[in-house]
Amino acid sequence: MSARSRRVERRPAVAVAVTVVFFAWLYLPIAAVVLFSFNSVKSLSTFRGFSTRWYADFVHDADLVTSLVASIGIAAVSAVGALVLGTMLALGLSRIRSRTGRAVGAVTLLPLVTPEIVTGVAALLLFTGVGLKLSLVTVTLAEITFSIAYVTVIVRGRLAAMSTEVEEAARDLGCTPWQALRLVTLPTLVPALLGAGLLVFALVFDDFVLAFFTTGVSPQPLPVRIYSSIRFGVSPAINAVGTVMLVLSALVMVLALIVPRLWGRKSSSLDLITGA
Amino acid sequence: MSLLHHTSDDAGLATAAPAVSLRGLTKSFGRDTVVDHLDLDIGKGEFFSLLGPSGCGKTTTLRMIAGFSDPSEGSIMVGGKNVTATPPHRRDVNTVFQSYALFEHLDVRGNVGFGLRRKGIDRRAIGQRVGEALELVQLADRAGSRPAELSGGQRQRVALARALVNRPQVLLLDEPLAALDLKLRRAMQVELKAIQREVDITFLFVTHDQDEALSMSDRIAIMNNGVIEQCGRPEDVYESPTSVFAAGFIGTSNLMPGTYADGSVAVCDGLRIPVPAGHGLGGGEQVSVAVRPEKIWLSELTPDMVRVPGTVVSSSYHGATTQYLVAIAPEVTLTVLEQNLPRMSPEDRWTPGSRVELGWLPEHAVLLR
Ligand SMILES: Nc1ncnc2c1ncn2[C@@H]1O[C@H](COP(=O)(O)OP(=O)(O)O)[C@@H](O)[C@H]1O
Ligand SMILES: [Mg+2]
Repeated sequence: MSARSRRVERRPAVAVAVTVVFFAWLYLPIAAVVLFSFNSVKSLSTFRGFSTRWYADFVHDADLVTSLVASIGIAAVSAVGALVLGTMLALGLSRIRSRTGRAVGAVTLLPLVTPEIVTGVAALLLFTGVGLKLSLVTVTLAEITFSIAYVTVIVRGRLAAMSTEVEEAARDLGCTPWQALRLVTLPTLVPALLGAGLLVFALVFDDFVLAFFTTGVSPQPLPVRIYSSIRFGVSPAINAVGTVMLVLSALVMVLALIVPRLWGRKSSSLDLITGA
Repeated sequence: MSLLHHTSDDAGLATAAPAVSLRGLTKSFGRDTVVDHLDLDIGKGEFFSLLGPSGCGKTTTLRMIAGFSDPSEGSIMVGGKNVTATPPHRRDVNTVFQSYALFEHLDVRGNVGFGLRRKGIDRRAIGQRVGEALELVQLADRAGSRPAELSGGQRQRVALARALVNRPQVLLLDEPLAALDLKLRRAMQVELKAIQREVDITFLFVTHDQDEALSMSDRIAIMNNGVIEQCGRPEDVYESPTSVFAAGFIGTSNLMPGTYADGSVAVCDGLRIPVPAGHGLGGGEQVSVAVRPEKIWLSELTPDMVRVPGTVVSSSYHGATTQYLVAIAPEVTLTVLEQNLPRMSPEDRWTPGSRVELGWLPEHAVLLR
């Protein structure tokens, strides 16, 4: 080993300290939520011992369970909807070579940078404007609209990495354009599609802002439900709900990172986001 | 291997017609004419190379024959059938792509059998033909691998097998060896040629590598700026180039520009190079004389040779050969390639500054307009 690489390997104490402080800042509040969800007493400041009573409270609260199920449903439907529309958009954009086409492609990224509150207000105005009754359906519609951009970005990334010759090879070997799409392009995209779908699920599942603006009174998506219940005093049951959501989201994200690798691909399409 | 050959009944019909026949084939992108009125006939079972520098329109030509690009003008016949307006999936043509374009979601077997499955051939026959094709490219042991697990050379073979297994009228190959390293490329050149002989399918092979074209082809078309400059057997295009471009693109050529008069070309004052008759020039035309470096002698000149005095400018040793640059006029330097024969010692080599006499047989000088 050369002297140079050894110097790089020695970690300066300052960098280590900064990293530790950063992670503590980021994760201590979350760790506190998880810890207090197992508290045996109704205190948010002192931990008296381990218990699962708040989880029992949560499970027996029909409203909270309904909201959890609603949130999972919204996330699942949104993932599928955004996947279908976002993939179609990506495929369409990849076939356009003109300057206008590329401009349209850039516009599809707009939802990624638009403040969510603006999207939320806009969606609310639209739904009330056309006389749509606010419900879980309106939440789902808003979430799909918002999520298409994520799918499009991921699928376009994968399409760009795929040689245009691959689809031509399919046609060369006897496929009609439609068969080439179905038998070659889409199967090649499967890992990217899975990754994108799981990402959308995770994003929508715990989304608060859009859900808050577009939901009806009952049932409400879980994040909105939690927010309303906090206004009547914080119960440690909320910590239990939060922990469940955390575990679910983390699980989905891990799946989104791992699943594409099971397809024998060296990297996941989410590496785009995680920077791995 | 017999299954890879055309069966006698489908060969019987088409023997008369060329495998590929292009008439006035033209492609323009906007105002750019990239392929310009190409006329070409490629015989059945021929190994035909389209050789030209990058950007001369080779890929565009192949894409039109495969059906991925619509000609602006002209027609394409494959096996005697006009396919100009036929979509790619109904043309009896297969392509080996420059990027290989393998299907990453299928294993090697799935890739090679893809075309046969599209044709609706029964599973047993597909399995057998895929097996044979993989034997042919020596990949039988990798049938279950994903493309991502293969080396560049192996991917190249999968692409070849995937196209060959369909027994097309014509196989189009777009610089299939360009991405391989030199040693592997040389080995694949020999192998590809052997495979072509074995399967007896017409190969239209695109390359910018003159060595590759010379060593593999039955015929070569030299392409430049969308037109075919010269077409013929490798030895013909090498020995008798018909244009300055062809002479320069294949091998090294010594070009001596000058004015033609009375059976010789005046390169400069006091230096007239005799050229063979039969060119139909009157006199006063600006032409070039081309002589290949290995056709020039520095010693053991015979009486029937054209002789020119010169001065050695530099000499470089290349193992089997020694290359000299010899100035014969202030503006004209010729490259001379001399074999290092067993009886020659290093002291026999000319040193820079030596006065020498160059000689070549008159028929080895080619007159170019
Ligand atoms: N789709 C296209 N649009 C515009 N110009 C193109 C297109 N395809 C190829 N060309 C141009 O045509 C010329 C020939 O390209 P190509 O056939 O790929 O050359 P080669 O394969 O001989 O290197 C190049 O100048 C290239 O820029
Ligand atoms: Mg090319």
